[in-house]
Amino acid sequence: MEYKNLEKWHDILNKCIRCGYCFENCHIYKITGWETDTPRGKLTMLHGVLQNDIEPTDYLVEKIFECYNCKRCNSACSAKVDVTGLFQDAKMDFIEAGFDVEGTVSGTNPDICSRCKICISVCKHEARSYDEKNDCIVVDKAKCQSCGCCVAACPSGAAYSRIGFGLSQQELLEQLEQYLEGVS
Amino acid sequence: MNKKDIAVLKEIVGEMNVKDNPADLYVYGSDSSVHESPAWIVVRPTDVPQIQALVRYANEKKIPIVPRGSGSGMSGQAVPVHGGISLDMKRMNKILEINLKDAYCQVEAGVIDDDLNRALKPYGVMYPVAPASSRVATIGGEIANNASGVRSVKYGAVRDSVLGMSVVLANGELIRLGCKTRVHASGYQLDRLMVGSEGTLGIIVDCILKFVPIPKYRCLGVANFKELEKAGEAIADIMSCGAQPSLLELMDNVAITAVNKTMNLGLPDVEAILMFEADGMVKEAVDYEIEKMIGICKDHGGENIRKSYDAKERTALFAGRKKLFPALSKYMELKSCTSLADDMAVPYSKMAETARKIHDIADKNHVIMTAYGHCGSGCMHTKILMDTTKKESWNNAKQAVSEIYEYVISIGGSTSAEHGIGLSKAHAFKKEKFDSLNVMMAIKNAMDPNNILNPGKLMSAPDDWLTATELRYGMG
Repeated sequence: MEYKNLEKWHDILNKCIRCGYCFENCHIYKITGWETDTPRGKLTMLHGVLQNDIEPTDYLVEKIFECYNCKRCNSACSAKVDVTGLFQDAKMDFIEAGFDVEGTVSGTNPDICSRCKICISVCKHEARSYDEKNDCIVVDKAKCQSCGCCVAACPSGAAYSRIGFGLSQQELLEQLEQYLEGVS
Repeated sequence: MNKKDIAVLKEIVGEMNVKDNPADLYVYGSDSSVHESPAWIVVRPTDVPQIQALVRYANEKKIPIVPRGSGSGMSGQAVPVHGGISLDMKRMNKILEINLKDAYCQVEAGVIDDDLNRALKPYGVMYPVAPASSRVATIGGEIANNASGVRSVKYGAVRDSVLGMSVVLANGELIRLGCKTRVHASGYQLDRLMVGSEGTLGIIVDCILKFVPIPKYRCLGVANFKELEKAGEAIADIMSCGAQPSLLELMDNVAITAVNKTMNLGLPDVEAILMFEADGMVKEAVDYEIEKMIGICKDHGGENIRKSYDAKERTALFAGRKKLFPALSKYMELKSCTSLADDMAVPYSKMAETARKIHDIADKNHVIMTAYGHCGSGCMHTKILMDTTKKESWNNAKQAVSEIYEYVISIGGSTSAEHGIGLSKAHAFKKEKFDSLNVMMAIKNAMDPNNILNPGKLMSAPDDWLTATELRYGMG
């Protein structure tokens, strides 16, 4: 596989000292507790694919697309690595190579979409556009930053993204109750 | 490890707490050191009986088992050099008890240092060790490495805060060591034996820690020195005159230049900056300590001396030291910052000489090194900056590291002050402890006859760190 966007980050990946200061700032890691879901874990995996130490699989690529782009890892990074910028370029390469994963990227259900295109106008990241030929809203998965504005603005409830990563709202409530019982 | 082994492990901890995808194994195969070696499987226990069952099974099948906190260690302690199970302890993260009357707390090994201090703060007390990695380091990892930090000069290393612990031995047996009191006199101090054992003697599952009151007053002082040697003399005098600093940090000129070049903080172009702090419940007592240290700095030519009690001003004064790590990472475009020979313990009187020696050795071997650290507790930190894509750089670094350790041991210092031995410091550790290695090995063999607990570390690690594992940096 060719990494024409990721390749330029090779030296930066060496500069990541893997201190783990990004851990506490990552919402996804806070939920799953696996190091593979931390920004450091993702940088390590990308370093691994550039080095040909590991294969870019659907599993690995899915992890890279699981990010809400809050950028707290960037500000916490002790080596000042532009972590999310690096992910952005990796995403472009993975899409180019034909990977099609869900991650935390937003989507639109064409069956209930009214084609009002409000989602396009509210998207700050220019990730959404209208495909006239196929009469549908398309999402650039590399550009989408999972902010959820399209979901909030969509009058038909057609735009969606994963909310409560790894947990349904019911599960979240149950975990909260469990936690509060532990505290009391 | 075969499919049957994996099925058994999944049965013990539940399928959702096991990972065997190559991407996961790769991530859990490295830490903050230069090393990488993938685990065979990652297992995440949530209670003590699960750990006992896992260890019992691993012992029966002779599968290596490598305990792991957050993987923030800098010497490769959590890198599974012989494969096996990476035992992720981060879900063992309950604070079990905060006992104010008896002044101790009991926590599981996976509790994060800062989380513990957040829980203690409302009671006006703190767990004082404060390693730089406190936001990510687990208490279990800190104990296993006998960590310390900026305030260890006053409050000691982790070993000074540990009263007791529960440990799962290699045969799966759970034993309780130490107790909940400040003193216990009889028998072998096995709790002390576990501190710094780097996961080679047992799995620490919970521990009893003492805490101290949060000081009401803190005053930070800063002094500039035109000569590094003079700063070194000031350190030795401060520590020998009976002063009680709660922080005593040195930055050398490479560190100052790096901070100025990348952060534009406007630090003075001097050979050394000394930062010193006193804390306490009575302002007059803090004043007394800080003035004593200011006087000593003046006696040794310290200039532009400032002090402040104000939290904001203290943050500004300490910014240079605080920002040093990112500054070093950005110091030169093609140089990366590596954790090698990074935490020597040095006698106070040799601090300045050691810093000078480090620079001489670095120049001779064509690498860039800086000297800084918690000099009040005798800890001299360095970082080696080099082009990690070039094999030649690694050979130069190896020679520099070897010469630095030879010097440190010759002046009565020690290989590691707070980061532990793991893989990358084993060669020097073995030289330093040559006459006690047999005793350590006998203890290891008695406690872990099948050598399943973090094998290939400390005295069992390979002599050549450069070839001990793959290096985690991309080579050109």
